[in-house]
Amino acid sequence: MKPFVRYLWVLTAFGLGVGTLYWFIAHEVTGAVLLWAFGLMPLIVGLWALRHGASRNAPVAPEDDPNADPSTDAGTSVGSFPAVTVWPIFFVLGLLLAGAGLIYGLILVPPGLALAAFAIHGLMRESRQ
Amino acid sequence: MSTAAAAARREHSGVVSWLTSTDHKKIGVLYCVTAFAFFLVGGTLAGMMRLELADPGRAFFEPGTYNGLFTIHGTVMIFLFVAPFGSGLANYLIPLQIGAPDMAFPRLNLMSYWLFTSGGCLILLSGVASAGGGAQMGWYAYPPLSAGRMSPGVGPDIWILGLGLVAVAAVMTAVNIVTTVFLYRAPGMTMWRLPIFTWNMVIVSILGLVAFPPALAGFALLFLERRMGGLAFAPAAGGDPVIFQHLFWFLGHPEVYILILPFFGVITEIIPVFSRKPLFGYTGFVLATLAIGALSTGVWAHHMFTTGAVDNPFFAAMTLLIAVPTGVKFFNWTGSMWGGKIVFPTAMLFSIGFLLNFLIGGVTGVMLAAPAIDFHAADSYFLVAHFHYTMMGGAVFGIFAAIYFWYPKMTGRMLRERMGKAVFALMFIGFNVTFWPQFEAGLRGMPRRVVDYPANAGYETPNLLSSLGYVVMAVGVLFFLADLWVSKRKPVEAGDDPWDGYSLEWATTSPPPEHNFDAIPPIRSERPAFDLHHEGADG
Amino acid sequence: MKRGLLVRAAAFAALSLLAVSCGARYGMPDPASKQGEATLDLWNVFMIAGIVVALIVYGLIAWSIIRYRRRRSDPEGARGASFRENLPLEIVYTVIPIVIVVGLFFLSVGTENEVTAVAPDPDLVVNVEAFAWGWRFTYPEQGVEVVSEPVGNDDAVGEGPELVLPSGQTTRIVLTSNDTIHAFWVPGFLFKRDAIPGRTTEFDVTPTTEGTYHGACAELCGWNHAYMTFHVTVVSPEEFAAWTASQSASSAVLPATSPSPEEAAA
Repeated sequence: MKPFVRYLWVLTAFGLGVGTLYWFIAHEVTGAVLLWAFGLMPLIVGLWALRHGASRNAPVAPEDDPNADPSTDAGTSVGSFPAVTVWPIFFVLGLLLAGAGLIYGLILVPPGLALAAFAIHGLMRESRQ
Repeated sequence: MSTAAAAARREHSGVVSWLTSTDHKKIGVLYCVTAFAFFLVGGTLAGMMRLELADPGRAFFEPGTYNGLFTIHGTVMIFLFVAPFGSGLANYLIPLQIGAPDMAFPRLNLMSYWLFTSGGCLILLSGVASAGGGAQMGWYAYPPLSAGRMSPGVGPDIWILGLGLVAVAAVMTAVNIVTTVFLYRAPGMTMWRLPIFTWNMVIVSILGLVAFPPALAGFALLFLERRMGGLAFAPAAGGDPVIFQHLFWFLGHPEVYILILPFFGVITEIIPVFSRKPLFGYTGFVLATLAIGALSTGVWAHHMFTTGAVDNPFFAAMTLLIAVPTGVKFFNWTGSMWGGKIVFPTAMLFSIGFLLNFLIGGVTGVMLAAPAIDFHAADSYFLVAHFHYTMMGGAVFGIFAAIYFWYPKMTGRMLRERMGKAVFALMFIGFNVTFWPQFEAGLRGMPRRVVDYPANAGYETPNLLSSLGYVVMAVGVLFFLADLWVSKRKPVEAGDDPWDGYSLEWATTSPPPEHNFDAIPPIRSERPAFDLHHEGADG
Repeated sequence: MKRGLLVRAAAFAALSLLAVSCGARYGMPDPASKQGEATLDLWNVFMIAGIVVALIVYGLIAWSIIRYRRRRSDPEGARGASFRENLPLEIVYTVIPIVIVVGLFFLSVGTENEVTAVAPDPDLVVNVEAFAWGWRFTYPEQGVEVVSEPVGNDDAVGEGPELVLPSGQTTRIVLTSNDTIHAFWVPGFLFKRDAIPGRTTEFDVTPTTEGTYHGACAELCGWNHAYMTFHVTVVSPEEFAAWTASQSASSAVLPATSPSPEEAAA
């Protein structure tokens, strides 16, 4: 198992455990729910990682191997990194417009959300290139 | 997407390239510069408050305006300065420290920067330019005060919206940092060789992921109550204002560790380098940080001791326990200096100032953890002094230490050491003159968030001292700005490794190339750059 | 060397004890209630523990900085010792703080229970209602009501209605609010409690010292928060009886005493 998945299990156990402890000590529901929800968050990521091959028998990754040489990573691609993108600005402008709509008049909400959706669409197309 | 693709291939220069670049180093610098600009705004607001409080009687501001001043001051300093400055440093440093070419999600990174900046501008706007009244309900915005009737106007709505954007930005950055550190480390950079700053940022990010969503939920409910007739916190309709306090402080208390842990990390990078020694007790230090992170999720209601509506002993126990790992860190820092050959550049001075100030913040924090003492000291100036000793004397001193330490790496230029020492002296003296007297005023009975206080009640001397101390600190900040200007006008070449540093960022050029490393050295300890520059040395 | 240290530590401990027994308060007001005295005792313990810990840590930091600074005689690239850990030492400096905070925890719980204990049969009940921006003190058994003048913008801070309490008797305060969250704080009693709409909260106070004390709202409650002040006047039970009698006779008259600067500063 990849080490980070282990960290996720520890977090899950911690959140659920403290939530339960808190419930039995304080009998207060808001805090207990918050702590249990904290336990569920890493569980979701951990289960996803399990389904996508973070299995027990994988070879040790070079970043987890204390004796790994820099060259062990040579040739493996980490994917390409984008240089510039304008879509986040449009996305944020869209959100601002929609938010202003909640305050000043609902008429602004649809164009705001449309702009944000358009920006998300642009981002996705850009990242698939 | 041919236009964007074409833009990607174009030569990057000028403002537009800075504002659309997904390079983690540019985003990191943008974050830091923006956050520092917010610091200057928040500091100015603090100056206006100190002006009003310098002597008894109301001289300059209407009570409502004054309430707006401390609301925006608190929000700006916490959510727009200290936390984002930590994010900025993390953006800049983490890929360099773990030997990665960039953050895991560069576009998300840029998006979180824009969310943070626009949210921050909304928050500033909410204090000044809003019809019918600005945000004047304090940075924790308790309903019913913040819910409708008592806070009319659109100011609080804009404030909530801005804070929401900033919170979403923080969550995005947290996802990015955790993913980057878990999956993008260089070969040999195991989790137990991560630089302490990176370790702390991982824990900070997990805390952010845990803590921000409940507060967002709280603010969403508050927004509904203000605009759309929601009743979650309205007692007349069966709602309960205490639930908002739970939701808010479930963010609010981890948040103070989100604010301070990055700068624990910063000074833990700096102190061993200038003591010319390895860090003392690496494993213990990481475990202590993990313990702080874990315990910090169970201490939120110590802000609610005086409500009489929470289980005080549970939260007192958790809060007292959190002093233990914090104490352990003090021994790590002292142990790292013990037996060294310590040199004292400005970054080291600010780190030592951090230790001296933060200890007082920590000790008074232990006092406030006792519910009976809190019954007197809560919501008094004693509390104000306590958290400024941790947040200003701690986190802000850590920020200045970080600037003096990493500015050469970021720009390739040195800051002036002599000016830096003057900045430190002014800040340290000014800080203590400002906040030490507030302990005394608070114990005597001065509540926080008051525009006015009675004469002849023992509050006058402490308040006058506070206001004078502010002036000294402000001069220190002006000196710092002058230092930046001088370093720009008359650059002094820094070289790749001016401090004889330990972590991987000192193994590349200053400033680093776009892809960060031309060649990553072998990583055999938590000090790869030191190993590279001192082959076979152990010291 | 070691013995010298021990002697100095003992001398310091003795001095601290002396300070406590002489009634040092480390900045706290002189408590005017039984509950406040308990809080002050706890405060002194925390304060001494805090001072001792701070002195030790400051001493270690100062020693490291001075003793292990790089001297002129050291070469430019001189490096310090190379030790990285010391497990026994690390265990010691983890366990000792745990012991300290566990001790402090039990002390603080004991004091909290003492301070928040409510008597089954209080001598007097006062209903305190906080509102924006003022206070209404009602003595249901005596049929007396004292209420703030509505706070205007020009009201001087530090004034306000008078809460009269008999000394030596246990008074039950029943605290409510009908608009927003306020907090009832009397620094002289070293105690505050939030007044939350929709909730009723009760606590006891047993004043011990006659005099007049400042009170204030400690939770931000809007525009005139700073002006939401009041006074507590502690009088002998006989004077209290006389006062309630005169009040029920002409409930419009408010007691005219206001605190002298010396009392206010206490």
